[in-house]
Amino acid sequence: MGALLLDRLSLTYEQRSSGSSFLALSEVNLAVRDGEFVTIVGPSGCGKSTLLMLIAALLQPSKGSVRLNGTEVTGPGSDRALVFQDFALLPWRTVLANVELGLELKGMRAAERREIARRHIAMVGLRAFERHYPHQLSGGMRQRVGIARALSVGPEVLLMDEPFGALDAQIRQVMGSELLRIWERDRKTILFVTHDIDEAIYLADRIIVMSASPGRIIEDIPVTLARPRPLEIRNSPEFSVYRQRIWDLLEEQVRASGSWEQEGAKH
Amino acid sequence: MVAETSSAGAERGVSLQTLLAHPQARLLVGLAAVLLFLIAWQIVGAGEIVRSDLISYPTEIIRTFFSMAASGELTTNAAVSLQEFVQGFVPAVLVGVAIGTGFALSRRLRAMFEPLVIALNTSPIIAFVPIVVVWFGVGLQSKSVMVFLASVIPVIINTTTGIGEVNEAWIRACRAFGARRRQVVMKAILPGALPSLMAGIRLSVGRAVVALIAAEMYVSVRGIGRLIQVYSTSDRAAEIFVLVAIVSSFGFLLVTLLRRVEDWLAPWKRDS
Amino acid sequence: MSAADLHPPARGGFRLSDRGEQFLLGLLGTVLFLVAWEVAARSGLLNPVVVSNPSRIVAAFLGQWQSGDMLGDVRVSLIEFGVGFGLSLLVGIALGIAMGLSRLTEYAVDPFVWFLYASPLIAFYPLIIVWLGFGFTTVVAVTFLLSVVSIVVNTMAGVHSVDAQLVRAVRAFGGRRIDVIFKVVLPAAVPLILAGVRIGLGRALHGVVLGEMFSSNAGLGYRISFYAAHLRTADVFVPLVILVVVGILLNQVCRMAEARLQAWRS
Repeated sequence: MGALLLDRLSLTYEQRSSGSSFLALSEVNLAVRDGEFVTIVGPSGCGKSTLLMLIAALLQPSKGSVRLNGTEVTGPGSDRALVFQDFALLPWRTVLANVELGLELKGMRAAERREIARRHIAMVGLRAFERHYPHQLSGGMRQRVGIARALSVGPEVLLMDEPFGALDAQIRQVMGSELLRIWERDRKTILFVTHDIDEAIYLADRIIVMSASPGRIIEDIPVTLARPRPLEIRNSPEFSVYRQRIWDLLEEQVRASGSWEQEGAKH
Repeated sequence: MVAETSSAGAERGVSLQTLLAHPQARLLVGLAAVLLFLIAWQIVGAGEIVRSDLISYPTEIIRTFFSMAASGELTTNAAVSLQEFVQGFVPAVLVGVAIGTGFALSRRLRAMFEPLVIALNTSPIIAFVPIVVVWFGVGLQSKSVMVFLASVIPVIINTTTGIGEVNEAWIRACRAFGARRRQVVMKAILPGALPSLMAGIRLSVGRAVVALIAAEMYVSVRGIGRLIQVYSTSDRAAEIFVLVAIVSSFGFLLVTLLRRVEDWLAPWKRDS
Repeated sequence: MSAADLHPPARGGFRLSDRGEQFLLGLLGTVLFLVAWEVAARSGLLNPVVVSNPSRIVAAFLGQWQSGDMLGDVRVSLIEFGVGFGLSLLVGIALGIAMGLSRLTEYAVDPFVWFLYASPLIAFYPLIIVWLGFGFTTVVAVTFLLSVVSIVVNTMAGVHSVDAQLVRAVRAFGGRRIDVIFKVVLPAAVPLILAGVRIGLGRALHGVVLGEMFSSNAGLGYRISFYAAHLRTADVFVPLVILVVVGILLNQVCRMAEARLQAWRS
């Protein structure tokens, strides 16, 4: 169902005014099975968010292709839904109206989409806040709205771009555990980008480690920790092994790219 | 922005968006549009597609400008208007800054006069022309009074807010070094409030010019506004355009001058 | 916290809430002003025929009201205002959106907008009379021209201020261009559009008065110059005060609407 195939995916940005070009992603090959929870880590600027945007088809690749269940992806669609780091909720809409957005854009009738939206709002535990506005909610709650919105359109693949990056550390952990709980219900395919190594290990069936810019996949690590995973699993020895391995890979990348010298040179 | 968020596919070629992103694009497109407009105007006017005494055309306007300048008509009337403007504007700035400072220092005083200030600020200043003329006559004085009325309010408001927003830290620094109140005002508050103040003065220019021309058009013996009125009754479009251009240029020049003054007075200012 | 703290707060005494105090002081100031005016006129300090005084003005107000003149004038001005401003809203917002979305449109139209913005449109006034004659059309045209610019400029700024991330989100969920415009760009631009509307309202009022004063024989603006020409100074103040009050009201309503909207922005 939610099987993704990325075949030699590359992206080059052309700077319009100066004519120079910048290679963001270089020959990414990746096969994701239906129902896999894949996390993607890498140094800043390695293109992990760009990768998600390509899969969501908000960007067009310079080379290569993205295939979902065998069919090439050409534009945005409700089979792939995005969750954003800064939530991207429409501030003038209530929680309910925000969650309905995807269905509204599909042309679904009001009564039908309301029912679906409310179901998903309840699923993320925000039933009491349907009529609230985003500015009245905490960061964690807003992101739950974002998740509900994405799930409402019934996607085959959930694309999550550092979704907990704007939340503080404790909330982040709780949200991760919440996400797993929701995921266990129907086990959608998830691609989850993060810079938090622990988070990447905790959530994943499989961890993709990317290189510094131009981004390539340098390691593909299956995670064999048993599910369901309680938060305490982060303290286990097996967990530390994964942590050390990824940390070593990333440290090498960060030092090699020199990006730790020039903080401002992000792209 | 809505237009972006698409990457460049490798072989996209030179698109419109690429061209428009060029740093000089804005200037060039604007220039082209204006040029096109002028050419169209010239054709329509000179070719009498529409009556040229109604809309005139660029070359006729330029010709008329020179003949008006040569006849001395422009200089005499411009001089009168300028005098009226200065006699109203300069006092307005001085009084405005003084009152604005007073308001900033005393919240009570400000509250007392707030209704009056709001009334003068949000009402159409032109409505006051007839009564001002009744009170001050048809000569220069009434025009200067109108200019004063139109300019003093923005200056007051901007001075008050400018002072109110002065960075608390600067004031504290002065007081920590033992400055007395007057010194704090001179050394921390006035310089800090300067940008806002200058913005208020620039804002007044437009309003003052409108008030001046309106008053002159209403009734006067001499002045640019009167000239406009005179020519309007005889279908002399070219002359009117010349006068409009002069009035607009004056406003533009004054505002530009004020920006230069501000840069000179306050070189530390963050860019706008 | 401001420079006003150069004064230490008053000790003891009767303290009202801040707002209450400000309101009362404002009231006090206005009353004092009116009283001073009345006294000056009655005592002969200022010539009451020329300067008029509050009591005469109130009498004139009642007189005009009873004769029905006032209502007639208000109606005329209201219609001209409504049509002129309504037009500038439609054209202004549409043009502002077009300029906000299309760089080509923006670059091409900008010089003209800037010119209208920066030049004293009043100077064009006689030309407009030449083209459109006296009366209703001219007043509406002037009202339109004066107010449309601030609406265009602010709408364009509003469109430019839209959070690109929100646009991306709507596109990610399958929104087409038209969806983006109506579901993201317009709502997000509303605060700035409102600011433009607030300024435009003031300028439209200006335009109505200007138009009526110079090229009409009806309406509040006309009345002001009519009464002034007949030296009926007390009567002059009646339409003047009405205009001032309307100006204040419109402004306050807009500011309140803007403040309301600020709520969901934070």
